[in-house]
Amino acid sequence: MSFDRDARTALADGQLRGALRHATTLFGERRRAAIADVPDWEGARDRARAIKDETLLHLDRYLEQFAANAERAGAQVHWARDAAQACDIIAGIAARRGARTVVKSKSMASEEIHLNAALAARGIAPVETDLGEYIVQLAGEKPSHIVVPAIHKTKGQIAALFAEKLGMEPSDDVAKLAAAARQALRRRFADADLGVSGVNFAVAETGTILILENEGNARLTTSLPRTHVALMGIEKVIPRFADLEVFLRLLPRSGTGQALTAYQSLLTGTKRHAADEGPEELHIVVLDNGRSRMLASPVTRQTLACIRCGACLNACPVYRQIGGHAYGSVYPGPIGAVLTPQLLGMGESAELPYASSLCGACRDVCPVKIDIPAVLLHLRAQAVARGGTTGTRALLERLAFASYAAVMARPRLFGWLMACARRLHIVPPLGAWTKCRDLRPLAPRSFRDEWRAGLRHEGGR
Amino acid sequence: MRSEDARREILSAIRENLARGSSPPVPLSVPETGDVLSSPSPEGREGQGVRTFTERLAAVGAQCSVVRGEAEAAGALAGILSGAGARRVVGSDAPLVQRLLRPLRDRFEMAALDRLSRDDLFACDVGVTTAQWGIAETGTLVLESARERSRLLSLVPPIHVALLSTRCICESLGDGLAHVRQADSHAITFITGPSRTSDIELTLVVGVHGPQTVHVLLLEDV
Repeated sequence: MSFDRDARTALADGQLRGALRHATTLFGERRRAAIADVPDWEGARDRARAIKDETLLHLDRYLEQFAANAERAGAQVHWARDAAQACDIIAGIAARRGARTVVKSKSMASEEIHLNAALAARGIAPVETDLGEYIVQLAGEKPSHIVVPAIHKTKGQIAALFAEKLGMEPSDDVAKLAAAARQALRRRFADADLGVSGVNFAVAETGTILILENEGNARLTTSLPRTHVALMGIEKVIPRFADLEVFLRLLPRSGTGQALTAYQSLLTGTKRHAADEGPEELHIVVLDNGRSRMLASPVTRQTLACIRCGACLNACPVYRQIGGHAYGSVYPGPIGAVLTPQLLGMGESAELPYASSLCGACRDVCPVKIDIPAVLLHLRAQAVARGGTTGTRALLERLAFASYAAVMARPRLFGWLMACARRLHIVPPLGAWTKCRDLRPLAPRSFRDEWRAGLRHEGGR
Repeated sequence: MRSEDARREILSAIRENLARGSSPPVPLSVPETGDVLSSPSPEGREGQGVRTFTERLAAVGAQCSVVRGEAEAAGALAGILSGAGARRVVGSDAPLVQRLLRPLRDRFEMAALDRLSRDDLFACDVGVTTAQWGIAETGTLVLESARERSRLLSLVPPIHVALLSTRCICESLGDGLAHVRQADSHAITFITGPSRTSDIELTLVVGVHGPQTVHVLLLEDV
């Protein structure tokens, strides 16, 4: 992956940047309006984070409790160490159940393990049913936002895509486009014999999984087919049923600016009587894939508190300019920049922790108060320790920062050096930074001189 | 079994990593729910709850009619069905739904729930169910699988009519979660307005996969 190159390509794409500006700005406004009617938003954030911290510190216990309760209610729980194991498990279930038509609702974890490719390699072609995911799948692309997968596409582009793939009359009417997708997907739902979904929350106390959505495709995916496979990361578990309240308050408001999404499905095991509605089998696949490593330090551990609302993407000045694809990873934006290197290892994505100005907007909007800049710095330090930069460049960097620290800690030395620079008109060699910016000339008198002169003036009054 | 090995490996990886990063065992303080979460408490309980509920329903794009008693409900239901130009209607197994639909048999084609194939279901125009709870704060309907076969009827037909007693309206999301009979139901569905998407340029479209119309018939006691 080359973040540097892909970010430049994205920056040159006016249509992309227009779509991003429109969407992320609107999302920001809707989020602000939605949190305004919560009496104690900060209190809710604190509570949610405390619940997540409590869970993570006892994650083994809560996971076991969740699995035991889910199994007691009739679910089958599978454990997957990594992506390959998870794909094998799901493909195995599909084969055993003789599944031919597989429908999928939105699941970032399934993107993470590249489930569609794994199933396609075994002759099963899953159909994405979330409208955004469906668009992205038809276009042969990847989602560029964790909540709105096709955020990078304009309706004109989608109209052209549907005209080509679904044979519909090109139309700029968004309702017509959505209706065409509905029509095409209803047939799939009517035929579907296996449904794959993600999981937003898994309740240890009851063995319940909860799925939030707006379209109804997750409800169809989890209730029509004979078999339902739910894929969840180990961090999705929360202790108590009542804990859902605070997360249901935070997630939709942060994600889409809604007080509540149109649907929540709370699923506990399988149907109790033959005449009941719903799948005969529920398989829950619990995925580690690098997550347990993050528990080893309090800094990285907080990454696992994330509830995937996408607010940090919409707030990030970097994401807002370049969109999701430039990150070259399944999870884009600030959370992607901390999650990806930890999931895949630094070798694959050492550039991502640098894809940030450390402005802290992500931390401010995060509903569970993840200090993303702190995690970014932690990962940058790791990248350097692993020899991200080597040889002369590393030596120069170290020398430069050591000198900077020495000068900044000594006011007199700083003053003297600045006076020299002013007299000699020295422009420091800032390399890449000055490539596309002019360095403003130093003022004839420093602020410190002005300040001192001002003080004398004040004193003389 | 491989999954059993994976289970052991994952759990021990979690324990090892937690031990490695053992920050001093900070006493965990999860702030109590209390006032932090509940919206400002209402005065004049039930009436207020119904008003908030209907206001929120309107805000999320659901229709709502308030009726007194079953006779009025039957009339209103007939009106909704003919107003929507419904031809094929499917009702749940809830006794109230059965009672209200029985007199409408000659006017609409009624699909039989017990012999309903998937194709039949997809051909229905309207699904009629009850809801076990309403949540005023958000305008949400709560459907429990233990009480009624309503899971598909409230989802597949383009129009969903839900009957709800005003006595079953909870104030807040927390109240709703506390009331719901979780242990008895393998599927509990929260429904807030019609199906919607904003996946194309964040433009709202209603009725993408689920119902385009949600009509709540609120029953006041006679």
